[in-house]
Amino acid sequence: MEFVNEGIIKLDKELNELDKFVLDFCRILEKHTKYMIVSGYVIILFGRSRGTEDVDVFIKEMKKQDFNKLFEELEDKGYECINTSKRDAFEELNEDIPLRFAKKNQFVPNIEIKLAKRPLDIHFLEKPLRVILSEGELRISFIEPQIAFKEVCLGSKKDIEDAYYLRKVFEGKINKEKIDYYKREFSK
Amino acid sequence: MYFDKEKNNRERLKFIEMWAEYVRTHSDKEWSKQQNILINSLIKNGLRKS
Repeated sequence: MEFVNEGIIKLDKELNELDKFVLDFCRILEKHTKYMIVSGYVIILFGRSRGTEDVDVFIKEMKKQDFNKLFEELEDKGYECINTSKRDAFEELNEDIPLRFAKKNQFVPNIEIKLAKRPLDIHFLEKPLRVILSEGELRISFIEPQIAFKEVCLGSKKDIEDAYYLRKVFEGKINKEKIDYYKREFSK
Repeated sequence: MYFDKEKNNRERLKFIEMWAEYVRTHSDKEWSKQQNILINSLIKNGLRKS
């Protein structure tokens, strides 16, 4: 793991099937909108030895016609929305109902897309942490807000363990004052 | 049956700490090879169920 600068981490990991799935999906997504991966997959990307059924992704608000182009390209490239129809997808996304996309005829893993609406999510979406991998680049949330969100807002045993893992694996690389700041912000 | 949840949680966190230390001190290739055995098998089995 190489910290190229404050906003870029280079990972020389051997990619697994989940990494390849996420890279493939995000290559399509980034052509249409800004995105940022959050939560469980971020922890797995940095080595936590656990699985996940879904990958949480925030995207920027889009116009309907732009969203439809994204939807069509995803369909063309072998993905399908597994929890709603193309007709209803845009409205549901804007009503804060996440859309789940998986490879056709499969259910897991899937990508869960939500609109970034909270000020902090919008802020990080504009300037995400970039992770350089051997087969491409992923844009993820910075580590400090990830830890704060898991500890304050989620708080399940799995989330507490994820936050603990991030604290340990990034020891000396993360700003603990920032974590406390984000914890206060998420508590409001 | 008595089950000591606190002890179990402490042991889980201890393992997480040990694994995080391994990831910090070994090359990305080394830890990812081990992680991928788990992840790839979960994906393969998940897909079989669907």
